[in-house]
Amino acid sequence: MHKGHYISGAGHLGLIGWLLLGNIFTSRTEPVEMQEVSVISAAQYDEMVAAAQSAQAEAAAKPAPEPAPEPEPTPEPEPAPEAEPAPEPEPAPEPEPVPEPVAPPPSEEVSEQAPELPEPPADVAVLAPEEAPVAVPRPVERVAPEPVEAPDPEARTDEVLREAATPDAPAEKVVEEAQEATAPEEATTQIVTEAAEAPKASPNQSARPPARRPTPPAPQVAEKPVETPKPETPKPATPKPETPKPEAPKPEPTTDKDAVAAALAEAMGTPDASPAPSAPSGPPLSAGEKESLRVAVSSCWNVGSLSSEALRTTVVVSVAMNQDGTPQTNSIKLTSSSGGSQGAADQAFEAARRAIIRCGARGYQLPVEKFGQWQNIEMTFNPERMRIK
Amino acid sequence: MNRILTATLLIAALAVSACTNPDRFGADGMNNGAANGAGLNGGIVPGSVNDPASTAYFQQAIGDRVLFLIDQSTLTPEGQATLDGQAAWLNTNTDYQAVIEGHADEQGTREYNLALGARRANAAREYLLSRGIAASRLRVVSYGKERPIEICSNEACYAKNRRAVTVLAGGLTS
Amino acid sequence: MIVRILSICLALIGGVASVAQAQDGPLRIEITEGVIEPLPFAVPSFQPESGDAGQMAVDLARVVSEDLVGSGLFREVPASAYISTVSDFNAPIQYADWKAINAQALITGAVSVSGNTLNVKFRLYDVFSGAELGTGLQFAGTVDGWRRMAHKVADAVYSRITGEGGYFDSRVVYVSETGPKDDRAKRLAVMDYDGANVRYLTDSSSIVLAPRFSPSGDRILYTSYESGFPRIYVLDIGSVQRRVLESAEGTMSFAPRFSPSGNTVVYSLTQGGNTDIFTMDIGTGQSTRLTNTPAIETAPSYSPDGSRIVFESDRSGSQQLYVMPASGGEATRISFGEGRYGTPVWSPRGDLVAFTKQNKGRFHIGVMRLDGSEERLLTASFLDEGPTWAPNGRVIMFARETQGAGGASSLYSVDISGRNLKPVRTQEGGSDPSWSPLQK
Repeated sequence: MHKGHYISGAGHLGLIGWLLLGNIFTSRTEPVEMQEVSVISAAQYDEMVAAAQSAQAEAAAKPAPEPAPEPEPTPEPEPAPEAEPAPEPEPAPEPEPVPEPVAPPPSEEVSEQAPELPEPPADVAVLAPEEAPVAVPRPVERVAPEPVEAPDPEARTDEVLREAATPDAPAEKVVEEAQEATAPEEATTQIVTEAAEAPKASPNQSARPPARRPTPPAPQVAEKPVETPKPETPKPATPKPETPKPEAPKPEPTTDKDAVAAALAEAMGTPDASPAPSAPSGPPLSAGEKESLRVAVSSCWNVGSLSSEALRTTVVVSVAMNQDGTPQTNSIKLTSSSGGSQGAADQAFEAARRAIIRCGARGYQLPVEKFGQWQNIEMTFNPERMRIK
Repeated sequence: MNRILTATLLIAALAVSACTNPDRFGADGMNNGAANGAGLNGGIVPGSVNDPASTAYFQQAIGDRVLFLIDQSTLTPEGQATLDGQAAWLNTNTDYQAVIEGHADEQGTREYNLALGARRANAAREYLLSRGIAASRLRVVSYGKERPIEICSNEACYAKNRRAVTVLAGGLTS
Repeated sequence: MIVRILSICLALIGGVASVAQAQDGPLRIEITEGVIEPLPFAVPSFQPESGDAGQMAVDLARVVSEDLVGSGLFREVPASAYISTVSDFNAPIQYADWKAINAQALITGAVSVSGNTLNVKFRLYDVFSGAELGTGLQFAGTVDGWRRMAHKVADAVYSRITGEGGYFDSRVVYVSETGPKDDRAKRLAVMDYDGANVRYLTDSSSIVLAPRFSPSGDRILYTSYESGFPRIYVLDIGSVQRRVLESAEGTMSFAPRFSPSGNTVVYSLTQGGNTDIFTMDIGTGQSTRLTNTPAIETAPSYSPDGSRIVFESDRSGSQQLYVMPASGGEATRISFGEGRYGTPVWSPRGDLVAFTKQNKGRFHIGVMRLDGSEERLLTASFLDEGPTWAPNGRVIMFARETQGAGGASSLYSVDISGRNLKPVRTQEGGSDPSWSPLQK
């Protein structure tokens, strides 16, 4: 035998053996789990913070266009510059303080002004119900078994009064009244629509700020156009008010230049539309808080008298809340329904509305400091589990 | 000789004594007739159960009804035997016609029991037809569960209610 | 200049902010559980608007209340709890007073009598919304028919709140029973659905069974043994005149029902021991065979549109439910559960069929969809049978016989949810109820 063969063989064997058994001798280490951590610059971090704050503050900020927040209120910080990137072309030097303060200052301003705002609406709100012909029953006419057309001239005149008197009412209110103009004509042969009924509600609205809604002047102008979006919730729909807004109270905007004016108007308009005004929002509602609201409404949601078709109909109902936790009765609207005819949806809506009003009579248990979160509520009533088993 | 004469006289006396007004004893006619006729072919009170031509005989001696198992309209062997007797009787007493009533127990809905009773009555009728009775002599009616004869609510009573009864009509004592 | 700059900045920031705001949206929650409770209502005595209407005013309100409470969907807030009363039909409602006693619906009415004419008007209010629900109505009728007016008011209230049609202004024809089980005396009777105003239509000299109303509510079909054999008769309720629907010698006919047009009768005919379903034109007497099997076919019932018939047959070996076209033809079985199914009745809404089910020695009244799905049993007892539908398809009346030698039959009603099972007030025992359509 040749030595070479031996050496070669040993070498091969060694190689094979190492391949097979080598792992035994290596220490096993657990794979290290790497947390994905992105590194952001300090600037970006501040920007995020500012954005969050401005989101809140801006909400409140719009009513304060004039807020000559001007320059003074420079409490805050510098970081903002990136937050408001594009916006300030010229404002290079001075603007510095401006963009930043924009975030916080408005909040201060707003808080000052907030108290003013609600007053007018409050007054008017109380007025409205008083004028409502709640007390005047329609004259019942004779008929054998059929429903009668109730004349009801009073209603019409009242509407006119009401509309004039409530220029400050929230957008939906206006919508309701506009709706009502047509309602009485039809209502006599069919069920009176919720919209027509609503304004007659007894002064359920407390004098307290019903809703930190758009500025008083806004609705005035918005009367007609707002009519269309009626069925929708008073969401801070940005598209909505754009049209009417052109006339909306512009702060300073000395609209010399149309371009500027237009830009301002648009921008101004949008904030005006968003309903959630100066209300503190705080952290999001906890699951427990949401659950307590759910349970409260559920306990008053009586489906016992609903037709089987209504029990197959899911309705989405929107309601605006007062800060004390009570619902604004005439803000309760049927947003959408599914699963049944219009009639069944109306029945289901009525049961839902009764539930909201009854269990909310003393106010729901909702944290005041988070009012902005629950100022507008959209409840979906799904009777699927309540159907005849 | 004397004995024969005595016997003859006795027999004649007995035969004559049998010729009485069957109704003399009124309602008891049948019972007395039975007593009188015991052991001897004589003493037949017409119309009494001992009168093979009477409905009473048909009802009690032959049996006017057949019973059925629950939900069934098929004749049991006992039922068939009873019907054989009925057929024979009807073939002998050709003046009679009959209505066969079908019944059901209360353990069922009204219309279905009417139809079930009809099936039972018809089963009895078919059998009698097969024994040579003319179709025109037999009619059927069903009472469903409307005419129970036993009113307790258990099987002992139910069994008796599930029946087809042959009710005679026509003849001398219709 | 500065101002302009500032304004622009503000505007733009505002725009950004509003976009951010828009993403928050309203708080959204879903309510999936509720309660099922009778709705509390108050109905103060009606206002008498003529001198002699005082008692009528009280009675009308009472019957309205009994109707609503009897439906099981409403609960009355008693007068003893009232804070304020209604003293004038046209006076404004003090909603707060009714809210305080949790009366969610308020019914006010007024009545006036002049001669034999009765005028009744009413309004319905949704208390918590603080407004009238629907429009007020007024009815005119005779003094004798005052209960019907109350029923019409109750129907309007019921229908406005539940969204279902009403059923209170209706009649029921049934078999009135007296005597022991082995010698029952039966006769036809017709009454208001709540047991009032009973009228007997036949005497008890012969057995009568299963009367059924015509779609117009003016005639009744029923089976009678007055000829010695079961035959079908049609009786005019007004004149109480009857005539027989002829069938051949040697046959028996029973289980009749009107078609929705009122011109045709569907029924069972037995000949040669076999029972099948036939139709007959009431006017001409012409009959047509619909089934032809050696099995028992009986208890037919039309769909509300008259296009199909549901019936029972034991062709599979036991009683089951089948559906076939109204002209006869292929029948589809729809019952598949354990036990036997009979006496099917199509709901006036067309969506369900009610039936009698027998299983393991118990009887049940049940409902199922026309394809046999969603079977639900509503009752259970020794012997329940013969369901009939209220005009709104939401309530069922049936007969319940008790066990044993002393057993007797009486009428009961139950909601299709299975709730509110309760007896119907009749003077004697009763069976085979049939509910009329809503009266005009």
